[in-house]
Amino acid sequence: MSHTQDKSSAFRQGAMIFVYLAVLTALEFFVAIALGAVILLIAIALVKAGLVLYYYMHLYKLGEEQGGEDTHSYAYTTGTNRFGLWLFLLSDFFVFAGLLVMRFNLLGLTRPNLNQGLGLLVTAVLLTSSFFMNRAETAMAHDDQKGFITGTIATLVLGIGFIAGVVFVEWPAAIREGITASSGTPGAAFFMMTGMHAFHVLTGVIFLFIVLNNGRKGLYTDKKHWAVEAATVYWHFVDVVWIFFYPALYLIGKLA
Amino acid sequence: MKPVWRGLLLLVIGALVGFALGVGLEFLVMGEFDPAAPVASLFALLVGFTSFFWGVVGKSAITSGLISQIIGTLVGAGLVTLIRAFMGLDLIGSFFFTEPAWVFGAFIGVICFIFGSGIVSDWLKWARGIGTPEHHEDKPGWEKYFSVSLDHKVIGIQYTVTALFLIGVGGLFALIFRTELAQSQLQFLTVDMKLFGQNGPQLYNTLMSLHGMIMIISILLGIAGMINYIVPLMVGAQDMAFPRLNAFSYWIAVPAAVLLLMSLILGGFDTGWTGYPPLSARAPVGMQMFFLGVFTAGWSSILGALNVIVTVVRMRSKGMVAFRMPIFVWAAVATSIIALTATQFIGLSFQLVMFQRLFGMGFFDPAKGGNPILFQHLFWFYSHPAVYVFVLPGLGIISELLPVFARKPLFGYRWVAMSSLAIALVGFLVWAHHMFTSGMNEYLRVPFMYSTLLVAVPTGVKFFSWVATLWKGKIWTPTPMLFVLGGIISFLVGGLTGPPNATVSVDLHLHDTYFIVGHFHDTIFGGFMFPFFAALYFWFPKATGRRMNETLGKIHFWLMTPSFFVLTFGMMRIGLLGMRRRIVDYDPALHFDTTHLILTIAGFLIALSVCIFIYNFFYSIKNGEKADGNVWNSRSPEWQVPSPMPAHNYDEPFEVVGEPYDYGLPGSQYVQFIKNK
Amino acid sequence: MRHFVIVGILVIIMAALTYAGLNSAGLMPIEASAQAVSIDSLWNYELIAMSFLFALIVVPIIYSLVIFRRKKGETGDGEHIEGNTRLEIAWTVIPLFMVIGLAYMGAYSLGEVRRVDPNAMVVKVTASQWQWKFEYPDSGVISTELRLPVNRQVVLKMESLDVIHSFWVPEFRLKQDIVPGRVTEYRVTPSLVGNYKVRCSEICGTSHAYMESPVIVVSQADFDGWIAEQQAFTAANQTPEGKGQALVSANGCAACHSVNGAVGVGPTWQGLFGSTVELEVGSSVTADEAYLTESLKDPKAKVVKGFQPTMPIYPFTDEEIANIVAYIKTLK
Repeated sequence: MSHTQDKSSAFRQGAMIFVYLAVLTALEFFVAIALGAVILLIAIALVKAGLVLYYYMHLYKLGEEQGGEDTHSYAYTTGTNRFGLWLFLLSDFFVFAGLLVMRFNLLGLTRPNLNQGLGLLVTAVLLTSSFFMNRAETAMAHDDQKGFITGTIATLVLGIGFIAGVVFVEWPAAIREGITASSGTPGAAFFMMTGMHAFHVLTGVIFLFIVLNNGRKGLYTDKKHWAVEAATVYWHFVDVVWIFFYPALYLIGKLA
Repeated sequence: MKPVWRGLLLLVIGALVGFALGVGLEFLVMGEFDPAAPVASLFALLVGFTSFFWGVVGKSAITSGLISQIIGTLVGAGLVTLIRAFMGLDLIGSFFFTEPAWVFGAFIGVICFIFGSGIVSDWLKWARGIGTPEHHEDKPGWEKYFSVSLDHKVIGIQYTVTALFLIGVGGLFALIFRTELAQSQLQFLTVDMKLFGQNGPQLYNTLMSLHGMIMIISILLGIAGMINYIVPLMVGAQDMAFPRLNAFSYWIAVPAAVLLLMSLILGGFDTGWTGYPPLSARAPVGMQMFFLGVFTAGWSSILGALNVIVTVVRMRSKGMVAFRMPIFVWAAVATSIIALTATQFIGLSFQLVMFQRLFGMGFFDPAKGGNPILFQHLFWFYSHPAVYVFVLPGLGIISELLPVFARKPLFGYRWVAMSSLAIALVGFLVWAHHMFTSGMNEYLRVPFMYSTLLVAVPTGVKFFSWVATLWKGKIWTPTPMLFVLGGIISFLVGGLTGPPNATVSVDLHLHDTYFIVGHFHDTIFGGFMFPFFAALYFWFPKATGRRMNETLGKIHFWLMTPSFFVLTFGMMRIGLLGMRRRIVDYDPALHFDTTHLILTIAGFLIALSVCIFIYNFFYSIKNGEKADGNVWNSRSPEWQVPSPMPAHNYDEPFEVVGEPYDYGLPGSQYVQFIKNK
Repeated sequence: MRHFVIVGILVIIMAALTYAGLNSAGLMPIEASAQAVSIDSLWNYELIAMSFLFALIVVPIIYSLVIFRRKKGETGDGEHIEGNTRLEIAWTVIPLFMVIGLAYMGAYSLGEVRRVDPNAMVVKVTASQWQWKFEYPDSGVISTELRLPVNRQVVLKMESLDVIHSFWVPEFRLKQDIVPGRVTEYRVTPSLVGNYKVRCSEICGTSHAYMESPVIVVSQADFDGWIAEQQAFTAANQTPEGKGQALVSANGCAACHSVNGAVGVGPTWQGLFGSTVELEVGSSVTADEAYLTESLKDPKAKVVKGFQPTMPIYPFTDEEIANIVAYIKTLK
């Protein structure tokens, strides 16, 4: 939880959370198939989001003492930056909330006929990328530069894989099924939601490239790595959005 | 040659050159010589505008940015046209480029403005792992206002002057259509006239729509100007928490304004500022410029708000606990909470229409299963809280200035502080009162009526507090105080005409009439315009070390205020009797001609008073009576140091040792400066 | 204390004067529907409240500006009054009850306005850019005027062919938007014989200002007579040209297309048939049956040069289109 943990137990915790997330994802997939219980699906999504917010994004850091009295210290400035980042994410959250409103207003409790296998696959890729991002950040927090680099590269590969999976595999698959941007509201909702989300993954990828590059130059230490924390928190945010978008598009509702 | 004249000369030359370029381009591509071609007017506008700034200040952020935006727009539009050529699609639209080309071009134009103006240069260095100094030296003199400055005081003035410019543009549009409306039947905006591809009624619709949105943007910039200048001074900070983000938030409003002006020329649009589909889905290309312009301006609002909240939370002086902050800071925070979050919804609603137009995505198209009322929900979820963004800062100014001019504490300071937050919170729950006639679910109307009426309670707390602050005071009324009083009365009338709109059955009569137009002009002038002028007159000495002319100030007030009440009462009267909104013409049998003539005259008088203000404002910068001390005898920290404000605000930090508004308590002190050891 | 008494008296006087002034100014149009009574009653209460609250704030302010004015040369401050918690609570709680009370009154009024009469007469309203069309399903009459019998509830079932419009008759007070893709409902009981106008109240494009139709409230007997007249006229005009002309007047084509050569939103029909028209895209075409038929089915296909592509698609059958074309042929 805090920096008093040593590196290996921090890694273990990160892995544990990932296992919980994977199990919950499998659970929500089967709940959807077997029960179709919307409330349960929402509850599972909330639990997953909570896990990511707390263990991966370290939401609790906002409540901690942020740098004390000396307003010019690095600690204080980082606390200020952290608060600013979370406000930015709060604002961005409203975009995705609005998209969910659009989806439920237009489609109600029906859902588009999407390829479930592909959906599960890209979800797994994104969730795994969050695991590696957490690993990378944990490594940096313990001054393990090499662990940070490999973790970030793994995140990047999976992140790019997610975007490619959505844009070059899922979208053509949907179009082949007759779900196009202009075919009706299911297609419009699907493409707008996945498109906006993929765009945010792309900006996350760009952010990570920058941080990886600077990391390789040795700019970050365990005491000073705000850019790494920022990129990490942003990356997990994009994952949290998908935690809600995935059931909203693939699992909730009956086929039209 | 003085810069202003150089600018005007180059404006004319640039406009002519741009016009010629546009005509030439039209000839090359279309094979016909057409001086009325919109692309010619567009180039005239863009090149003229850019040349003006080149003449005034030469190479600077504004000129680099605008040049980059023009080039980016053309390159982007050209790229899309090229792709369309490969795809075998048509290459020319009714306004030269096709709509997708214009949209993408405009988007690239904004991106190029951002990079070309230099506002992101520090961030780009950070991305490459290069550090930058914390402070930038500003250019000396007035040139710094055309450059990227990280100083919140400079940025505050940039926001303010841009706001005044947009008030002028929006006001000009109003004067044009008010002239047409002065008499029934069409006088000059006729069906046979044509300008920018629009006939008279279409041009009316565009001017009326842009009047609304340009004024709204001017309000957002005006409150940003006040908040940026004043809040760091009040909390004792050297600057805002994120100075570069602050500069970015200002500068991105410039390409946004350019896009809004482009919408006029590229065919306009006929929906009003609210942009409802399906009408907005079939409007001319100007609609897209409008959508993109507002979307871009939204970034300014959101990022600016983020900065304010972080600054107030993280950068207050020692001893400044929450209930010892100046009341304006509370107002700024409440405003920023709304702007940070709700703004995304107008961006989203406009984005969905843009994509419906570009890709046929049927969000609001019933033929594809879409729902036009969904747009209204998304749109108003922001646009109602937005009106609280417009008025909360101004109401904060009123609360801030009344103690100074009544020489008495702000009555019930804590309650007033909390009332701003309460208004912000309740303001999120009322949006569908704009939709009582929309055809939404009927059972939704009653809860929204209750929540709407509820907003009156915290608003009432403010009014009663203001009355109680004045009571038993020692009141003096220089110009800033006159505007504070005008704001109170105006906002009172606006607020009192709210409940009839809130009760659904009465609203069925009032909705979409001039009653509503009168109501919101009262609330907007009361909540923003009057307090904005009050703030400008009040803090002018702090920024410049000189006073604005008091006589001209009083003329401004006494010319504007009665005219304004004649305007809004007149509007409400004809609205009740059947005058609909957003119409270029009305039936003479309704006998509204006389009232409309009076409304037009009132509008011109208001415009005249604002011209007097503008003259006073710019003249007094160099020639106003010297005023480098605590001109108003205010307890607020910024007035305890000399004027103009030093570059880094407070050479010695201060500590809060008392209440902000303890006027009348002998020996009391609000702030104490800590001597440097 | 003296101050409070004086202010109190002045507030009451000013409130009374304000209300009297507003009340006598004839702010509302005449009441021509049963629903207007409830609305005007609520409005009246609101006027009282507005007058009172206006006086309550304005009088103390002006009083303070006069009595508590700083005199010339005076430098001291005012009384150090920070607040009064009891007063704050009072002026929070009392207005809270007042607004809840007003909201309740509003809900009651809305209930009155939306009261359903199961015997209401149904009229179908079709709104399009920029005209109104009224159909009486019971009798098959189609008209561009809305004629209604007095003292009988009518329910308008409203549809739009293109964009959002809104139906409003100020004398009825009621307003309802008309949204494409759904049917919205407007219930009114006209209570005063007279000639009124419905004017579109949601901006719908270029000619929004001119989108109006007469609303004529008559006695039941006169209404029945009118229906019979309309049915007889339709029966008498059963030639293709006659049917075409009936369709044209029922659908308000005259809003955009004149028959006398005048230029409007759309091309004139006088002399149209058989003439050569230049199209927006540059080519020319003869306005024969094929062209007119195509333009009715797909108005945007071959737009005449100088006109905007704003004509909506009307749901005409092929036979109706042929009749309309036959009628246009007669216009020389």
